[in-house]
Amino acid sequence: MRGRKYCTAKQVSLDPKRHPEHHADAQQRFLSLFLRSEREIFRYVAALVPNVADAEDIVQQTALALWEKFDAYDPNQPFTPWACRFALNKTKQWIERRQRWRALLEGGLAEELARRREELRPEMEARLRHLEGCLNRLPDEQRSLVEGYYYRRDSVEKFAENSSRTIAATYKMLQRVRQALQVCIENAAKPEGVSS
Amino acid sequence: MKIAFPSREFDDAVAAMCHGSASQEQAWALNELLRGNATARDEYILRVELHSRLASEPDLFALGSENKNPSAENILPLHSPRRSHRKLAWAALLAACVALLATGWWALQFSHSSERKGAASKAVAMLNRVVDAQWNQRDETPRLGAPLEPGWLRIKSGLAQIVFYSGARVVIEGPTELQIISSSEASCRSGRLTAEVPPQARGFRIGTPQMNVTDLGTAFGLDVKARRTELHVFKGSVEFQAAASTTKKTLKESAGAVLESSGPAKLIAANPAAFASLFDLQAKSSVAEALRYDQWRAASRRLNQDPALLVHFDFDQAEPPGWRLHNRSSRSDIAPDATIVGCHWVEGRWPDKQALEFRGVSDRVRLSVSGEYESLTLAAWVRVQGLDRQFNSLFMCDGFEAGTLHWLIRKDGVLGLTAIGSGSGDCQIVASPSVLTLDQYGMWVHLAVVLDGKAKRVVHYVNGQPVKEKALKLNRPFRIGAAELGNWNASGFPDDDPSLIRNFSGAMDEFCLFSRALHADEIRALYSEGQPQAEPLVRR
Repeated sequence: MRGRKYCTAKQVSLDPKRHPEHHADAQQRFLSLFLRSEREIFRYVAALVPNVADAEDIVQQTALALWEKFDAYDPNQPFTPWACRFALNKTKQWIERRQRWRALLEGGLAEELARRREELRPEMEARLRHLEGCLNRLPDEQRSLVEGYYYRRDSVEKFAENSSRTIAATYKMLQRVRQALQVCIENAAKPEGVSS
Repeated sequence: MKIAFPSREFDDAVAAMCHGSASQEQAWALNELLRGNATARDEYILRVELHSRLASEPDLFALGSENKNPSAENILPLHSPRRSHRKLAWAALLAACVALLATGWWALQFSHSSERKGAASKAVAMLNRVVDAQWNQRDETPRLGAPLEPGWLRIKSGLAQIVFYSGARVVIEGPTELQIISSSEASCRSGRLTAEVPPQARGFRIGTPQMNVTDLGTAFGLDVKARRTELHVFKGSVEFQAAASTTKKTLKESAGAVLESSGPAKLIAANPAAFASLFDLQAKSSVAEALRYDQWRAASRRLNQDPALLVHFDFDQAEPPGWRLHNRSSRSDIAPDATIVGCHWVEGRWPDKQALEFRGVSDRVRLSVSGEYESLTLAAWVRVQGLDRQFNSLFMCDGFEAGTLHWLIRKDGVLGLTAIGSGSGDCQIVASPSVLTLDQYGMWVHLAVVLDGKAKRVVHYVNGQPVKEKALKLNRPFRIGAAELGNWNASGFPDDDPSLIRNFSGAMDEFCLFSRALHADEIRALYSEGQPQAEPLVRR
């Protein structure tokens, strides 16, 4: 061991009583639950901190916190809400050090957004069901921008360069494409006869 | 600043939040609006949800139902239900963290459906040899060994050989414009080419402005100009049809035909000598390869003098290859020769050069490097055979010790560098987009990653080009200690956990470790000096 500290030193010290076999099972159970909820947790966090890279950072930290406290998880309870409580705490800790996000979420807005989002869920799901269809209907260039930005995670700079646009214009285009998608899913979700 | 709803300012502020570019003022103003206006709040929630859905559902971008992203369950390791022997408590505990890092954190990078590109490949041919080829600058320069989709190939000078998936082989000499139409059809607007069509590719067609040629299992040559096409049959027979006519004619071996824009076909004798330069491709390409090999050797000798080069395995051993792998750098005091375990010696980037192939789960190269460093650069030439494991090791320090690194390729072609910090959960994973796709299997690819402790960033490179840059959050020093190429020694962690089996499947033909952060142009130089074939010179 060469006297070096391990990445997991803290976990080890937290779990002195855990039996190895029990522990290995716990690890599998945790991973299975976590991976199933991961996207949901991400979206919960992103509702508060919409920037993708920042939200992903917070989810990483949430994952570790969840694992540390996995002993306290009651398997009879659904995992995602339990995890989201940790995610809310982690998000608050995270924005503490970041003025801009603190400014956005202060005065109880974080809790209010999380609460209201839960209420709006069924309605939003009904609309978002049409997202894939709407994506497929985008003109090529717009589709390629969205796919580059969200799916391949290309930099906006790259797209800007390839399409001879400025970076600001590319961000603007991204904003417009989202607007177009929103109009599309809203139309698609309207009762029949009203939809375009 | 105040934001009304609905308004352009509102739209812009929400977008800026999503893009991470909002100003402090925008954040304040949005907060004020959202707290006081329920309708604005609902609208905000919906917009952000649309954005986060796009970012977290790669399935939305799947091309078809057969290309679905693996579900969360599929990326879980298939664990063995029984653990046969007792492990030390600490080992099992650590394994949990390893597995968490292995699957959990990695999964956070939203694994994107990997085989999409390959599975949906529209390629119908491949470029398998070039000599001094210069391509038209308007087009993307085709890479040697790269699959070719239907489209134009415009070569300005030099030779290139295209193998169609039907089996037909076409050599073009610049300047030539060839349009690949399908695996058994092409069209030539101008230029010179020879085609060799084996029996299984009978029926291969090439169109020119003056005629359509259908091959009946032969070798033939075409010389195409705007108003005149010459057809020479060297072997077998060819059927041709003048563009203006409906009748087909058959030409036998040693015969030829000339067609001008107006007028009937004129029969001539085939003249193989006129196509001699195209038949030389084979000979010329081996000369070109030998030259590249020599150039690389010269560059290698220069490289070995860099005092920051701690490890350089060139896999170019004169003596019968054994179990020892020489470190060619001048720092053997820090990194002695390595030990090869298992593995096979195979042909490398050039026919006369060797490479080491990793196949089995125990194949590996063990090495050790002492010292602590602020920055490190890793670079390797690899030929991926397949990404069989969830994590395929390129270079991994043993176990999971503070300050060490794991460099690997994830199953979906994502390059990853994991840097391990000294505190709990203090590990950073820098993942590239999915860069190693099916199209690239079997080709030599140059991979590099720079861990810059001073500028605080990590950059992944593929073939000399940066593909991902991310801020480094961990603090120096970094170290290597005991490490492996092509595999991983989990060092005391349970070895029956499949997520810990990380052997690489493919060959490696050069590996460098530097104790400094190489600049982008230095990485580019490593790539261009080591490329199997010279970079086609595109003149501007």
